Amino acid sequence: MTGTTTIPVTQTASTAPAIPVLSVEQVTVRFAGLTALDDVSFTVAPGSIHALIGPNGAGKSTSFNVLSGVYRATSGTVRFGDALLTGLMPHRIAELGVARTFQNIVLTAGTVADNLMLGRYTLTRAGFAATALRLPGAVREQRRHRERAREIAEFVGLGARFETPVGLLSYGERKRVELARALCMEPKLLLLDEPVAGMNTAERKAMAHTITAIRRALGISILIVEHDMGMIMRISDEVTVLDFGRRIGGGTPQQVQRDPAVIRAYLGTGDHAAPAANRTTDGDGAR
Amino acid sequence: MSDTSTTPRPRPESAAARQRRFGVPLLPRRTPSARRTALAACCVLLLAWPFYLSAFWLQTGLFAMTAVIAAIGLNLLSGTAGQLSLGHAFFVAVGAYGYTWLAGDDGRSGTHELTGLGLNPMVAFLAAIVLAGAAGTVFSPLSGRLRGMYLGVATLALVFIGQHVMLNASSVTGGFNGRSVPPMEIFGMAFDDSTVWMVLGVPLGGLERLWYFGLFLVGVACLLARNLLLGRPGHALGALRDSEVAAAVMGVPATRMRAAAFTVSAMYAGTAGALLALVYQRIVPDTFGLALSIDLLAMIVIGGLGSVAGAVVGAVFVSVLPQLLTHYADQLPLVVPPGAGGDGLGAAEAARYLYGLVLVLTLLFAPGGLARLEVPAPPWWRTRRSFRNT
Repeated sequence: MTGTTTIPVTQTASTAPAIPVLSVEQVTVRFAGLTALDDVSFTVAPGSIHALIGPNGAGKSTSFNVLSGVYRATSGTVRFGDALLTGLMPHRIAELGVARTFQNIVLTAGTVADNLMLGRYTLTRAGFAATALRLPGAVREQRRHRERAREIAEFVGLGARFETPVGLLSYGERKRVELARALCMEPKLLLLDEPVAGMNTAERKAMAHTITAIRRALGISILIVEHDMGMIMRISDEVTVLDFGRRIGGGTPQQVQRDPAVIRAYLGTGDHAAPAANRTTDGDGAR
Repeated sequence: MSDTSTTPRPRPESAAARQRRFGVPLLPRRTPSARRTALAACCVLLLAWPFYLSAFWLQTGLFAMTAVIAAIGLNLLSGTAGQLSLGHAFFVAVGAYGYTWLAGDDGRSGTHELTGLGLNPMVAFLAAIVLAGAAGTVFSPLSGRLRGMYLGVATLALVFIGQHVMLNASSVTGGFNGRSVPPMEIFGMAFDDSTVWMVLGVPLGGLERLWYFGLFLVGVACLLARNLLLGRPGHALGALRDSEVAAAVMGVPATRMRAAAFTVSAMYAGTAGALLALVYQRIVPDTFGLALSIDLLAMIVIGGLGSVAGAVVGAVFVSVLPQLLTHYADQLPLVVPPGAGGDGLGAAEAARYLYGLVLVLTLLFAPGGLARLEVPAPPWWRTRRSFRNT
């Protein structure tokens, strides 16, 4: 694990550590009578950007919570390469190289650097005694990882904000801190939960650019939940569509856009078209 | 007041701009050189303390030191990891009685047979800290799993269990009447008044030497806590406090980290307890009641949660206040000296009312605690700052 710390941000895909396949097989999640996910299966190919879309309440965030171990699946399995993720505690899943961001920003009070150093938690070893006594190993480790955290901050455009308390940052910047913190885990799979929600057009463009740059530089798999269809169609390789907890379609962005089942879910059928009209597939950009 | 309430709320401004407008922090924090100077001045003052002041002030200072050590430990748990503990009086007691039992000899106190291991006091002191840590670890199945308030309620039980044990295990604790504490001894040099050193014409007896020992402990306690907060465990504990889910998906094992924070905190409390025993020279169960736990919580809230400086400021404030009120009881209105009749409050009661008031005022007007309080900047400071900033 610690060997990955020296990989520069601009590595080529060929030198990247082997990225495993993520396969979600027939996952069902029930909360006391409510079926949030119903027999959902999909596969995220190594190094791809895979989008998970669907109307509100489709089960996108539930999927993320199952993948990161926050929720237990009622049945079904999630495999990441050889590892079985279902049943593992969240911190074990993090150790396997699965990082995520949150829809509503969840940061720790402190500076950007403090938050990014939290991202290095699985890659560092210093315990209570070594840290309290400032043993040489712990000091060296912290210095080295802080350098890497600074690199990542610069990569996502937060270089100048590295020492700034997160409370003073703008909304868009805090979203970026979350992204940088996830990247600090040197993940093999990055789960992004609505990375551009609430952002303006310029910020959305910049974030989309950053996400594609991450894939280009690190060659990792990215699973993304987003409502901004324009961005999804532009950056993703594959799309899985959920509605009411079921997988109703999937494929390349072009296939999904022509899929009648998907169009029905988003635009509704004739008899209840009016209330569903605001579930538009249009985001900000051209396709 | 009325005109400020009608003006629109200003947009968020930078920390520097805020500081220019409103004032400077009470403790200089933003400029490292000023901070270092203040710290050095404090050190010199504290080192010179025994040369100029009487035994009363030494004792007051030593009480403050024990409070500081315990409060730093509690602040690691409550302020940083977000876990409430009402049971720290128990761990202070474990440290105090642990030291006394480990260093004490077999003997008799009144009607009680006393046992003791008769260890070297230095070894006993360290062992007492380990013992308190072990007591904290024994509690880890609960301290790891229970969150915030719930842990607070569970730890409440520890105080009562502790009281019961202290009153009934009389061969170790001396029961209701307590037990006298063997003096500290470092490399054959005892911290009692059997030998007196003359330094610069000032006699340094047991209390003075204990002062320096306490000062050393406080220094180490501050330093270790600061390192912890700035390092990997500090980041993990802060994340656990702010969002357990976020901490867990970042790879922080929540149960283990909470239990570890509790153990470390118990060790701090144990250190404070052993020092407290040395200051009191005789310990009784009454000292380690629920009131002590509450006092410790008041210290970190008044001083400021989550920082070492906050724990220090709050601990000094809460522990020195009753001592001062007792000392100056005859000169203060409404306060009567202990033992004197008539109308008025006892000094200890008055102190309690006062810091209750300060607690409320702190929560209302300085939620960050006294250590983060900002005082209005004097004009000369503002002028100088504006020059520097243009």
